[in-house]
Amino acid sequence: MNILLIIFTAIAAGLATYIIANYLNKGAVLASASVTLVSGIIFPYFFPSMGTTLMVVAACASYGGMVSRKNAPSLIDMIMISSIIGLLFTLTTTAYAGVGGRLGTIAAISCFTWIGVRNSAVAANRARKGDPYSKSVGVWQ
Amino acid sequence: MTMDKSKIKILLLAIGSTSLTWMLNHHFGLGPIVASGLIGVVAALFIPGALAGIAYTSSFVGMSSLTVLPSFFIALLGGLIAGMVIIATTEVYAGIGGKGGTTAAAATLVTKAISGLIG
Repeated sequence: MNILLIIFTAIAAGLATYIIANYLNKGAVLASASVTLVSGIIFPYFFPSMGTTLMVVAACASYGGMVSRKNAPSLIDMIMISSIIGLLFTLTTTAYAGVGGRLGTIAAISCFTWIGVRNSAVAANRARKGDPYSKSVGVWQ
Repeated sequence: MTMDKSKIKILLLAIGSTSLTWMLNHHFGLGPIVASGLIGVVAALFIPGALAGIAYTSSFVGMSSLTVLPSFFIALLGGLIAGMVIIATTEVYAGIGGKGGTTAAAATLVTKAISGLIG
């Protein structure tokens, strides 16, 4: 339940940042900083037990939401990046605790992971289409 | 690395942003998330273009706990190192979300190592 809440928070914060930055054209810094600030005020107030964790997750996802449109062209890309951020956050809770920039590093790793997965899928698709065996199968059929 | 006017501006901005975030975080008790968010919003509203990004990136260093950046002097040092890392890595991985945080983490770990040597 907690993991689902963390992933859902990450998706919401990531999407909010991405939309403010790219659809409302307010810039990545203002988008991320405003989402971070609002989550830092709202989450501890509305979720007394898990508020601190959720505000950190939201800040982390907002750093991921600063990704450029060239690297994450659609909202689906942003949802996937945010989901990876949520998962990675739960796995790395104790790693480098207290080191400034830890959350941004989680966001960067998540972005690279998703870009890698997407590019691999595109490359595999191209290879399959260009495979002579696949064509011959088409001919024989 | 030659020092021109823009690089000095970046270093001063990084030092100012990191130390301010550290002050808001620890002295005023706002916590790291609100402190960094506040610095980011102010920077985005009042500082032009890329410099706002530099201020926001440097503010991540100021989010460090007291075990990592134990004093205001070390926070100033962290800002200086963050500025140097930002200058050195301007072209690297532009457009990747979290690039600023990774830069800040590198600067923070270097600062922690140096402060450990100082004692």
